[in-house]
Amino acid sequence: MTDEQAYAVVGGRGTMTVFEIYIKTTPERLWEAITSEEMRARYSFGAGTKSEWTEGSEYKSAVPGVIDIASGKNLEVDPPRRLVQSFDALWSEDVKRYGTTRVTWEIVPVGTSCQLRVTHDQLSDDANSELFGGWPMILSGLKTLLETGEDLDTPGSLRYSGVGG
Amino acid sequence: MDEVFKALADPTRRELLDRLFERDGQSLGALEEGLPMSRFGVMKHLRVLEEAGLVTTRKRGREKLHFLNPVPIRLIHDRWVGKYAQPWASALSELKQDLEKSDEQEDQR
Repeated sequence: MTDEQAYAVVGGRGTMTVFEIYIKTTPERLWEAITSEEMRARYSFGAGTKSEWTEGSEYKSAVPGVIDIASGKNLEVDPPRRLVQSFDALWSEDVKRYGTTRVTWEIVPVGTSCQLRVTHDQLSDDANSELFGGWPMILSGLKTLLETGEDLDTPGSLRYSGVGG
Repeated sequence: MDEVFKALADPTRRELLDRLFERDGQSLGALEEGLPMSRFGVMKHLRVLEEAGLVTTRKRGREKLHFLNPVPIRLIHDRWVGKYAQPWASALSELKQDLEKSDEQEDQR
């Protein structure tokens, strides 16, 4: 990643949070795990994400018939390195009030692993920490899935899937 | 994981994490304020936190901003705490469902 891209993410309005994790996998497999509806559901509270994954296309994360988690647009789609999405949280009346934020996924190969960085920004200063508080759990589950093929079943990880607590 | 425990085993470094938890995305100048040590000392502690993955940095113009990355601590939680938390976590979620159900019944009345 160039410094210019780093500046671009830091710029703009609102506050930002950054989450980083190293996963022993290839950028291609990691990209697939992020964009496959079925795989996504296995580490995101049971919610799959549906989209055509083209620039300007829409996406929706939900457990159909149970709960809507988020929706938005794919602003930049550059597989298997970079995905920028607008993010409207939908899981409660309270989080809906905070409006549109932005989520940037960046994949950097490091040796036989990948660094995955999720930047959630354009958050209002008083943003409910629920908006970005789920990322550590999601990324931990993603690491477990890619490295072991298994689901992480710690409390809450599969909250809406009918499997976990 | 050794690096995470080593990084956490120091009160100044925990204080730096507390400050970032309070307000994320701070410069070195803001972080060193009120700490009884040199700028160089604070930089050294921040480097240990960065190497453990607990702090990540981004540049904004000429400034370097520091962000708390809680993911390594989550990995520790998932390794050892998960199975103990499970029974009461699911009991709590059942309690929540029961309470919400009785709320609904009350609403209908």
